[in-house]
Amino acid sequence: MSGKPVKLRSRLSFGDTLRVAVTGPRSRKLRSALSTLGITIGIAALVGVLGLSSSGSADLIRELDALGTNLLTIEKGESFGSNDAKLPTDSVRRIARIKPVYEVASVSKIPGGVYRNDRVDLGRTQGLTIFAADLNLLEAQRGIVADGIFLNEQLAEFPAVVLGSVAAERLGVREVTGNQSIWIENNWFVVVGVLEALPLAADLDRGAIIGHAAAARFLDEEYEPDVIYVRAFPEHILDVRSVMSATVNPEKPEEVEVSRASDVLEARAAAQSTFTNLFLGLGIVALIVGGIGIANVMVIAVIERRNEIGLRRALGATRFHIAVQFLVESLFLSGAGGVAGVFLGIVVTVVYALIQGWTVVVPSYAIIGGILSSFVIGGVAGLYPSLRAAGMSPTEALRTR
Amino acid sequence: MTNTTSTDRHLALENSRVQLALSLEEVTKSYQGTPPVHALSEVSLSVEHGEFLGIVGASGSGKSTLLHVIGTLSRPTTGSVYINGWPTDGMSDAELSGLRAKHVGFVFQEFFLLSGLSAVENVANGLLYSGIGITERLDRSKQMLERVGLGHRLTHKPSEMSGGEQQRVAVARALVHEPSFVLADEPTGNLDSVSTDALMRLFYELNTEGTTIILITHDREVAEQFPRRVELKDGRIEFDSAYAGAS
Ligand SMILES: Nc1ncnc2c1ncn2[C@@H]1O[C@H](COP(=O)(O)OP(=O)(O)OP(=O)(O)O)[C@@H](O)[C@H]1O
Ligand SMILES: [Mg+2]
Repeated sequence: MSGKPVKLRSRLSFGDTLRVAVTGPRSRKLRSALSTLGITIGIAALVGVLGLSSSGSADLIRELDALGTNLLTIEKGESFGSNDAKLPTDSVRRIARIKPVYEVASVSKIPGGVYRNDRVDLGRTQGLTIFAADLNLLEAQRGIVADGIFLNEQLAEFPAVVLGSVAAERLGVREVTGNQSIWIENNWFVVVGVLEALPLAADLDRGAIIGHAAAARFLDEEYEPDVIYVRAFPEHILDVRSVMSATVNPEKPEEVEVSRASDVLEARAAAQSTFTNLFLGLGIVALIVGGIGIANVMVIAVIERRNEIGLRRALGATRFHIAVQFLVESLFLSGAGGVAGVFLGIVVTVVYALIQGWTVVVPSYAIIGGILSSFVIGGVAGLYPSLRAAGMSPTEALRTR
Repeated sequence: MTNTTSTDRHLALENSRVQLALSLEEVTKSYQGTPPVHALSEVSLSVEHGEFLGIVGASGSGKSTLLHVIGTLSRPTTGSVYINGWPTDGMSDAELSGLRAKHVGFVFQEFFLLSGLSAVENVANGLLYSGIGITERLDRSKQMLERVGLGHRLTHKPSEMSGGEQQRVAVARALVHEPSFVLADEPTGNLDSVSTDALMRLFYELNTEGTTIILITHDREVAEQFPRRVELKDGRIEFDSAYAGAS
């Protein structure tokens, strides 16, 4: 009697498995390349969108962090009936009594024009506003002096002016020399400083800022706050906001309007993330379509290569070897699409971010996620075709029609 | 009756089954359907190492079915198949695959070469599932291609070769793992008469050197020369030249 021979096992090493799996796509290059296109586009869209939104919001978030979200802006509200609602003169003192508040700065808008010199036609105001400001305005805004200095105790009494970034540009002031003057309501004011843009108070960018004392002395204006900027400790900012109106004007709180300057930036970030989600959705749709494309190509490959399957079974391939061959082939196609897509997405992100002047950020989760998801898609797409290939009976597979 | 004689011979050889390259014991193969098809009925057959067996028969007589059963590509409905004396009944799909990878070589009418691969790579596929490293596979394939007279065609793709050359590549692939026997299903079916003669000469040469060959043919002329000839009709062995004298 004789039993089974020992070690009757077909074997296919890992390297041979990969080699076998690429022979299919290798001998049908164009079709393989086309079949990966859906995945490439989908992954590129995902990586590009994630990269662009991170690059775009990286700057926005950095700005928000720098400016803080704890700045409240208090203005006179739109009151019904009377148009002459005003903030009470002692508003600053009242607000300063709220405990979590640590900085209060008011500005008064002064009617009148700001001109390069006394020969400019009075009609051409260039949309600039005269502001009389408290000396701690810059701290409240976390503003930065681009050139020169901000107002101080002494300068506040003199005809000295600090220009907002837009105002400086419109008036042609590039640097502070100390002997450049501008014409404000029939008075010469010396430019002592120019500010960087103030993202939380864009009005001030178009302002010529002088001291309250100078406003009283040269422009005959009495102190009357129009806008008050308040910094409070961030954890209490909502409480402060809710008591603000009543604190400023207990009789008519409805005449006080309180807003949070950073809300605008946050809304911008939110709008951006809505867009991001939309494009992410589109990318996922492209991925699904790409996955279906690969599944389609694999199903066709299994039908077309019936004879090859039969031959491999005759050469000693097990069902498992056949299943793995087609599964790896599918993984190879979609993985190649995924790698190409990641590469394309990075290129798009870098180019666009550079054009926009953003810091380039391609999050690593986008890269890893892109490649991983392409493999997952390849696995899912290849599952049915590979099981079908493995399930074929060798005799059926070897038949020619 | 031929069947009785063949069963007698089988019984006589039962104890020496180990020496046989192949033995079939009352193999039946039926396909379900309405009506069911009995592609093979009680076929018993023994082939010794070094034999050259030709199988002939009309179309639909069960020749391919028989070859697939011999090569373990399909299991018999009833009866047993022994290869080198090993019973294949109890073997799993994976074990049968291993058996084919090491002990069976197939040649088909349509060659079945992979179009993307060169001649030598196609031949190396004959060793692919046997666990031998790529370098040795390619070395042995080169030698085998030289053996079948295609040493000058190593890197050519199938599309760059004639039908006769392609079939010789397929023969090299069937032989490269030194199987216990080669099964060829109408290997000359797609060849002209000149290529047919050349290929048959190659088969006889290989047989002289010790390769066991079982070959199906439609071709009367080819069939004439077989040292041993088995005729199939309606799934039964109708004639076996090994017993022609005895009946
Ligand atoms: N899967 C199947 N289902 C049903 N019947 C089948 C199947 N495979 C083969 N047959 C039948 O079995 C019989 C034998 O077929 P087989 O292919 O072995 O014939 P053959 O002798 O090789 O013929 P040919 O010379 O035309 O190749 C035929 O009648 C065929 O129709
Ligand atoms: Mg046939």
